[in-house]
Amino acid sequence: MLHERELKVFVEGTTRFFEVAAQQPASIGSPYLMEEPLALHEYSGLIEVSGRREGVVCFTAPKTMLAVMLMKMHETDFGHETMRDLVGEVANTISGNARRDFGNEFRISPPRVLWGDTPPIDPRPGARTFVIPIHWRSHSAKLVVALC
Amino acid sequence: MSLAARFDRRPVVLIVIGALLAAALGTALVSGFRLATRLREDIAAVQAASALQAYPRELVREVSGLRERLEVRAYAGRALTTLRDSTRDFNERLQALAALDHDPARLASVQQRWRGYRAALAPVLEFRGEPYVDSDAASTRLSADGRGLYASLEHARLYALANAHGFDADLAAVTGDLQASASAAATRLRLLLQGGVLAALVLAAIAAWLLLSRARHERAAQEARERTRDILRTVREGFFLLDAEHRIGSVWSDALTQMFGREDFAGLGFRELLAGFVPETTIATALKYVDLLWGDRANENLMKTINPLSQLEVHSPDPLRREPRYLQFDFHRVTGAQGVKYVLCSVVDVTANVALARELQESQQGADAQLEMLIGMTRTDPLQLASFLDTADAGLKLVNAILRSPARSDADFRGKLAGLMRELHALKGEASALDLSGVADRLHALETRVSGCESRATLSGDDFLPIVAKLDELVAYLRGIREIAARLALTEHAAPASATDAIAPILEAAAARIALEHHKMLRVECNGFDAIPQSLAKALKDCLVQLVRNAAVHGIEDPELRRTRAKGDVGVVSARFARTADGYELTVEDDGAGIAPDEVKAVAVRRGLITEAQAAAMDTRAAIALIFRAGFSTAGEVSLGAGRGVGMDVVARTVRALGGRIGVATMPGKYTRFKIHVPTGGKDAAAAA
Repeated sequence: MLHERELKVFVEGTTRFFEVAAQQPASIGSPYLMEEPLALHEYSGLIEVSGRREGVVCFTAPKTMLAVMLMKMHETDFGHETMRDLVGEVANTISGNARRDFGNEFRISPPRVLWGDTPPIDPRPGARTFVIPIHWRSHSAKLVVALC
Repeated sequence: MSLAARFDRRPVVLIVIGALLAAALGTALVSGFRLATRLREDIAAVQAASALQAYPRELVREVSGLRERLEVRAYAGRALTTLRDSTRDFNERLQALAALDHDPARLASVQQRWRGYRAALAPVLEFRGEPYVDSDAASTRLSADGRGLYASLEHARLYALANAHGFDADLAAVTGDLQASASAAATRLRLLLQGGVLAALVLAAIAAWLLLSRARHERAAQEARERTRDILRTVREGFFLLDAEHRIGSVWSDALTQMFGREDFAGLGFRELLAGFVPETTIATALKYVDLLWGDRANENLMKTINPLSQLEVHSPDPLRREPRYLQFDFHRVTGAQGVKYVLCSVVDVTANVALARELQESQQGADAQLEMLIGMTRTDPLQLASFLDTADAGLKLVNAILRSPARSDADFRGKLAGLMRELHALKGEASALDLSGVADRLHALETRVSGCESRATLSGDDFLPIVAKLDELVAYLRGIREIAARLALTEHAAPASATDAIAPILEAAAARIALEHHKMLRVECNGFDAIPQSLAKALKDCLVQLVRNAAVHGIEDPELRRTRAKGDVGVVSARFARTADGYELTVEDDGAGIAPDEVKAVAVRRGLITEAQAAAMDTRAAIALIFRAGFSTAGEVSLGAGRGVGMDVVARTVRALGGRIGVATMPGKYTRFKIHVPTGGKDAAAAA
């Protein structure tokens, strides 16, 4: 079972990125438990967690949202590489936040970026998977926390 | 003497040696200066004495020359002037020499001889007359003065000749003496300079050694400081020193910055450090405790046992960090010769430990609950259990579906609450009825979270994180029950539970449990349930559970009260289902206290559902209808059985969803009867479920 405190750490890591980098705070939507495979957006940043908990944390966002984020960050290059870097950076911030708050409790892998036609995430056997919608301006992304 | 004491005295010894050497060097320098002055004077005296040595012969020559001039009657004025000049020069040089020479005895014989010279020369030097007389008869001849002058010259010449050798010898001796004296002074000066140079070298060596030693000590001190800094930077504990005024010292560990989110600790008061993190009363207690540590008689080990900050819950002033943290403060007195110097304070963030302890406690509670659950399961009819698990599964899926529906605004989030409360309450009722306390407790906790959201000024997704976390916990728990039930083969081989078959035992179990909890005696009588269509089973079961619980908690009186009302000790709740011409009718009736409309109105006013004016204008029918309003309950406090005011709301909504209607008949002190009418071919029963 994942504790509320742990969930909050991952959520804060995500919203902090928007507040600091994109200079506009993000809010979270209504969180729920994933019961069926979840389709990912075009770009996803994924970190693997081991130690006291095992599983993955994934931030997935549509291309349009990333493009607006890049604009707010005064970027002029909206290419594939830049979007990959951006989504990787969000995952990196989540990872850093988790490292800061959990210390040695968790071991967190470097972020991995998925893009394009990625298969949906399946609910992990033995782990409850949380989906937390992330709203920023008129766009929505998702944070998926699947740990056991 | 110990090594440490010897080491401590070393600087004093070095200072004494240095002072002695400096004094020696100073003495050498002063003596050297004096010797050099003396040497310079001796050399000047030697030069003066050397110059004087030529004068005796020169004076003889000049006296002889003047005498010869007088003899040949030549002009003598110039020669006399030259003699006077030489005599004056000699006299002046001799006086100068006497002034330079530090040994008056040395010049005594020279001065003695010179006084003789001067006496012999005095008539010559004082001569002012005309030495010649001119006449035509006897040409130029000596005048009387001239003859006197001539005689004086002859006397002086003879005196000079007689003393010339002695005068030379005396002057040579004086010169020799002076040279020997100068030479001796030069030798002493050289020795002195050598000694001075040696002393200077020793001093320089000592200074260099001191500098090296100091540099070595400074390097060691710097290394020690760096190591201390490294330790303070690395440790995960916060360390600082407090003085008697509760002020933090100039050294602290970096972990403190992370704990308190600031860097300006030097001179900061302990009160200011804690301000904003803990209530003012806690700060006051903490300061009193720290004051106690300064007392000489304070027993530190005993003090530890009363440390009010041993596990302090702190809330960050940062609104983004809502989660409380737990800090463990530990205090140690640092004492010196004068008593307590400081109080060393260590702070450890024990949030993870507290969380772990809670997890362990929860785990223990979970194990206890699981055991209890196991016992409950063995008491529960397998068919009912299987039916409940299916119902719970479906109910929680619905709860998750409510959560999944998109929400951004406060209104969106608030709109979810009623649905969540209804579903959770219905499940809780059923779990309680089956005596599945572990499930009921978890549902109650989840319901409490949802209920807590209602009073918040604004709602956001953050408020729903605890709800989804609790939902996850509940889902996992139910999965555990299903697995245990499967292992015990409680449900595996059971025939699929018919929903209608399961209703009566659930109601009876619920009534029995509530009776036990509330010290009541009651009996449930069920009739006609086998006629309930499967399509209505779930919805009507929810209604029945709520109505029977409502009757058991609020309707049936305790035996003592019943006796005063001429009733039997055992209350009766009867539930009947029957077909009617146009549909179905479900009746739940109890022979309890009935509903008092005035009491209902008063409770509604107290709970803010209606105003006093509305209550006053309300008739009995409208007053009784209030019991179906969400949030209405006559129970004083929230419990598993009642209190949230959700149960009757569930009934009303379910009946409405079925397209039915509900009627209430009551007589205070006598009975209450709920009659639910559901039309045949009403709305989709599944949707109502």
